[in-house]
Amino acid sequence: MIGYILRRFGAALLVLFAISVLVFLIFFATPGVDPAARIAGKNADPATLAQVRASFGFDKPLPVQYALMMKHLFISHDLTSFVNRGTLVIPQIIEAVPVTLSLVVGAAVIWMVLGVGMGTLAGAMRGTLVDPLVMLLGVFGVSLPVYWLGEVVNLITQKQLHDSVFSWVPPLGYVPMSEGIGQWALHLLFPWLTLALLYAGIYARLLRGELINALNEDYVRTARAKGLSERRILVKHALRCSLIPIVSLFGLDFGALVGGAALLTEVVFGLPGVGKLTYQALQNLDLPVIMGTVLYAAFFVVLANAVVDVLYARLDPRVRRA
Amino acid sequence: MKRITAMATRTAGAALLAVGVAACSGGGGAATSATDGAGQPAQTTAAGFQEQHKGGTLRLLAKSGDGTLDPHINYSNGNWQIFQALYDGLVSFRKVGGKASYDIVPDLAEEMPQVSADGKTYTFKLRKDVKFATGEAVTVDDVVASFQRIFRVSGPTSGTFYSGIVGAADCVKKPAGCTLDKGVVADAAANTITINLVAADSEFLQKLALPHAVVLPKGTPDKDQGTTPIPGTGPYKVESYNPNKQMKLVRNPNFTEWSRDAQPQGYPDEIDYNYGLTPEGAVTAVQNGQADWIFDPLPADRLTEIGTTYAEQAHVNPLAAFWYIPVNVNLAPFDKPEAREALQWAFDKNALVKMFGGANVAQPACTILPPAFPGHADFCDFPQQDLAKAKELVQQSGTSGQEVSVVVSDDDVSKQIGEYVRSTLEQIGYRAKLKVISTNIHFTYIQNTKNKVQLSVSQWYADYPAASNFINVLLSCASFREGSDASINISGFCDKDVDAKIAEAMKLDQSDTAASGKLWGELDRELMKKGPIVPLFNPKQIDFVSKNVGNYQFHAQFHALLDQMWVK
Repeated sequence: MIGYILRRFGAALLVLFAISVLVFLIFFATPGVDPAARIAGKNADPATLAQVRASFGFDKPLPVQYALMMKHLFISHDLTSFVNRGTLVIPQIIEAVPVTLSLVVGAAVIWMVLGVGMGTLAGAMRGTLVDPLVMLLGVFGVSLPVYWLGEVVNLITQKQLHDSVFSWVPPLGYVPMSEGIGQWALHLLFPWLTLALLYAGIYARLLRGELINALNEDYVRTARAKGLSERRILVKHALRCSLIPIVSLFGLDFGALVGGAALLTEVVFGLPGVGKLTYQALQNLDLPVIMGTVLYAAFFVVLANAVVDVLYARLDPRVRRA
Repeated sequence: MKRITAMATRTAGAALLAVGVAACSGGGGAATSATDGAGQPAQTTAAGFQEQHKGGTLRLLAKSGDGTLDPHINYSNGNWQIFQALYDGLVSFRKVGGKASYDIVPDLAEEMPQVSADGKTYTFKLRKDVKFATGEAVTVDDVVASFQRIFRVSGPTSGTFYSGIVGAADCVKKPAGCTLDKGVVADAAANTITINLVAADSEFLQKLALPHAVVLPKGTPDKDQGTTPIPGTGPYKVESYNPNKQMKLVRNPNFTEWSRDAQPQGYPDEIDYNYGLTPEGAVTAVQNGQADWIFDPLPADRLTEIGTTYAEQAHVNPLAAFWYIPVNVNLAPFDKPEAREALQWAFDKNALVKMFGGANVAQPACTILPPAFPGHADFCDFPQQDLAKAKELVQQSGTSGQEVSVVVSDDDVSKQIGEYVRSTLEQIGYRAKLKVISTNIHFTYIQNTKNKVQLSVSQWYADYPAASNFINVLLSCASFREGSDASINISGFCDKDVDAKIAEAMKLDQSDTAASGKLWGELDRELMKKGPIVPLFNPKQIDFVSKNVGNYQFHAQFHALLDQMWVK
């Protein structure tokens, strides 16, 4: 088991390394991206350009530049942005993490409650009108793109009905928890709901399918034969087994979202989280920040994968030997 | 000034902006402005400070911060605008709205400098009693140190704007230890600074009025200070700056107004520049009174609403800028003069103006120099589209049927313009293709000869009001650098005769601006015939402010004077 875990984490490190090299190479392979020309400014004199190139080390071979960047990022922790010069990359990410965590944790609670509730309801009431209705609602949630839904929510809460029904909605942006939990939650309420709607739909549909399969299993028949109540069968037996794939999916989704996949929600609602940081860095081709955020995101995805794999291995010995 | 990258997204829907927006409305204060015949705001009457409007917090919005806070390095519209309230040079542009804002006035210098007969020596007498935000007085040593620092930090314009100072050429090559000991000389006893130039430069004072030449305390480290504010002399100081969140300005306690023209005291007690909202979100915030002003171009789908319901809160002003097609004169088919002339006839510029948002946000361009800009001559040799003539010229050039591609950036307006250009090229006999690339790399991509760009759509915003800032920068041999991402002569146009005339006009600028203006006008006309550039239209700036903002003034060089807006 220990050997398996070590192998798994070794592979994870390799993936992170490969991703960083890829980001670096793609950046420099893009035409029109010369960071020295961007830093030196429009119509810079060739001598100035040469100075900038030398002072930022852009005249060194790419492998050396890569090594230097990794050194600044991981050893001296003083990697700075190319665009907002003087801004350290790591503190920027550290500052953005609580915003993203606030958004994702809140949304996750909502979508798990909604998703599990809707999925169970639909699964349990199969054959009645409730099932297709709930599932329709789920499809509705899945098919609304977050950036569109977010803009529409903003349009309604900040503009059309801002003077009447939604006058209690605060302006867009983020307020840290230190300034009061109430304000923090109020600022995040609509971002939470917007992000949660998509995932609630997916999870409800998935859970419904699992639940219907489980309800046809032998052990459910046995439970019925034992005379257990339908409610007990549903909650204690069928739902419990159906939740296993949901939980592992949740691990992966959560990892990706904390890593920055909530980018669109953050941009639309003006939340300065990791996703927005990534988006801005991509917008102005700020390699150090792109590198920092991509590695951060990859770390969470890889970590979540690795944890899920190890857990599976713990549960199922066949995986360990594969 | 850096070109505005995401010059975003105005569409024909915005034509409705016409309904309500006055051409240039004053904010309800004493200083109102109107539009004169040339489309430039007329001179604003200087008003005294109105004590009753002092105070409050001005809340500004932008998508994101605009880079380093170091005024010797930052080269972006957003921060140049903010620097007006933070820093001073020896001279500055007059801080009023309208045409008078192009005037150079003494700032940290007591009066305009004494210039030697040969135009090579400028002597400034420094004001006494001006203090930095730290409380220390500004001395001649600070001025000398600041000029050294422009080079020591390899400032973006050190090799271009300030390369004419004696000793600058060496400093550009070897920034460390740059002294300029023969170029910038201080006399502490007389409190004067003498600047020696290698050759006379008619634009020198304008260059000194830009943020890259502001005076900073001696001892400011010789490297980019990034997010650490450097103390300045203006009415405000930066209290905190996080390019992902906010820049907060508060009053500089050591500021007392020494010249209302050069550096007037500001109205708000505090200026909060918040970063992070999308332009859509920002417009809504201003409508709700949650913010006062937006830096970014307004989204197209909101212009109609702003032009009607919120017309009184919108201000439209012409910009010293143009959208144009750089024509690569070194690649087939546009290495043939007839083919280039065909392009001058090919496009319907009114149609292009419509694509940009209509007559209220742009006007068609006939010349390289924008209307009301120094050197602009009122001619129009290619007054309207003539497809038949263009087609004939293409056939004469023998390039008919050749493949041509147009490279545009991926914002909505550029794509639309690109598609129009492509279809027109098809009509005049080429096999045309449209290449859309990310806005983030477009500007540098089209400059590099390695990318073999035949035609593209780009923009140019003047750094300062001088004809050379268009013609010399965009079309001289010196700004063409093969194989570099920094080669602003995108057309690759290099003509020794034209270069000689440019030099002559720049020389004439020093002695006889009327004559030089005429020469620039002729050059403009000649260049239009040679066709390295197809001007499309001159854009206007739309500023949308909240209901409680007054005294809006549009400075032709640095745009809205933010600290002159009042919120009380």
